[in-house]
Amino acid sequence: MIAFALRRHDAPAPSLRRKAAARASSRPLRPPPSPGRAGLSVALRGLGKAFGGRPVLDALDLDIRAGEFVAVVGRSGCGKSTLLRLILGLEAPTTGTAAVDGAGPRRIMFQEPRLLPWASVVDNVAVGLGPDVARAERRARAGAALAAVGLADKAGAWPATLSGGQRQRVALARALVSGPGLLALDEPLGALDALTRIEMQDMIEGLWRDQGFTALLVTHDVAEAVALADRILVVEDGRIALDLPVPVARPRRRGDAALAALEGRILDHLLGRAPQAA
Amino acid sequence: MSEARTRALARLTPWLLPLGVVAVWQAAGAAGLIPGQIMPTPAEVAEAGWRLGRTGELWTNLGVSFLRALAGLVVGGGIGFALGLANGLSRTADLATNTTVQMIRNVPHLSLIPLVILWFGIGEEAKLFLVALGVFFPIYANTHHGIRSVDPQLVEMGRVYGMSRWTLFHRVVLPGALPSIFVGLRYALGIMWLTLIVAETISASSGLGYMAMQAREFMLVDVVVLAIAIYALLGKAADALTRSLERRCLAWNPAYA
Repeated sequence: MIAFALRRHDAPAPSLRRKAAARASSRPLRPPPSPGRAGLSVALRGLGKAFGGRPVLDALDLDIRAGEFVAVVGRSGCGKSTLLRLILGLEAPTTGTAAVDGAGPRRIMFQEPRLLPWASVVDNVAVGLGPDVARAERRARAGAALAAVGLADKAGAWPATLSGGQRQRVALARALVSGPGLLALDEPLGALDALTRIEMQDMIEGLWRDQGFTALLVTHDVAEAVALADRILVVEDGRIALDLPVPVARPRRRGDAALAALEGRILDHLLGRAPQAA
Repeated sequence: MSEARTRALARLTPWLLPLGVVAVWQAAGAAGLIPGQIMPTPAEVAEAGWRLGRTGELWTNLGVSFLRALAGLVVGGGIGFALGLANGLSRTADLATNTTVQMIRNVPHLSLIPLVILWFGIGEEAKLFLVALGVFFPIYANTHHGIRSVDPQLVEMGRVYGMSRWTLFHRVVLPGALPSIFVGLRYALGIMWLTLIVAETISASSGLGYMAMQAREFMLVDVVVLAIAIYALLGKAADALTRSLERRCLAWNPAYA
């Protein structure tokens, strides 16, 4: 585990180097070269969803800019996962519209890795390419995506032989291999141990900065939201109760005072406490 | 202890008990503890096998039985697999046929022998029908169950990632159902031999069961026991074949690798 953690620490460096190279020339082994930021923008108008007559989301209006990293936090059952599923088109809204604008596929990473146990790691990643990519190209692109999450050496392994964190990294590679315009993350790190979770957060942030997709992270971990997002939405009783920017420059350091203050403010709100003087 | 030796021992161990039983049996028979008309010694059974093997009678009957078993398995297993898939995948098909299948399943298929003899006489159709009916149910039930118990989260993942219905079926649903389908196949193989032997014993003019019944007529106990021993070996062979298929097809599963 320690060796693993040490190895992960120098991972952002090659990805940043690749970013610089990508600016200078065309990207090797990357999905169709995209000029600058290629994220999707999202516009919700009067969006509502009810299950069996019980409203879960109520007349939401929301705009998410292309390339923005938005975190959605809230108590269990507040409707934050439903919001994500509506934006992805996995569920139909009861009222209103969810419009997603721009090029590139929409991808989701679930709380569970949801890998096919009978397919090798590289074949699992290739699932993310969809049906229209030729066989030889699938392998190459899936291999490149695996390398981006630091698992190039596991390409031929069965998912059952990987650790929980490694499986979630394969799921991340699968979500990103197609060069998505929108990546939805539905509490993807909830089941990981604390250290692995921080490593995964750094990896997601690095890949987001590198690839420029719009990221939508649903989480119950306020610290995680504060560390990663440009903007935090607090959902309560089917409405957006708070919409807070996170004006802290990246790379962010864990334990930063401004982040801690913001985290405290959101937690106070969620727990229904009066905000304390800073 | 070296790994090779451990492995060799692991291969040998399962055979110690049957070999021991045969050895004790031989010794008891040779010492006159078991009367020859009741139970021949293993050496006498082997000799009967040698004798029938030389005349070709054994191979003919073995071949006939094997072909019947195979044909019944292919027909009954094929229909069971197809219907299991259909009912596992489609609610409508399930509603329309599952209740009927479950009702028929509760009729012991060997109780149909008198009816089958009336229908088909003692021809090949009778054996094929009974074996096919016997293997149908375990393959049907386990295919159905396997498809129904595929992880819905994986199916959702496949949908979200834009898999077509066919891709979803052959990349997610079928592999997920495969362990259960193999369980069905192993049950079916057992029922296949059982049904065939009973059918051949009661109504046949060739095959292993017929050979055993003929031997009874002439009080050839050694041939009767030979037939029984061959069933045991055939059952073991069928089981070994499924196991090796499982190891090949389910290599991803730590429970089989």
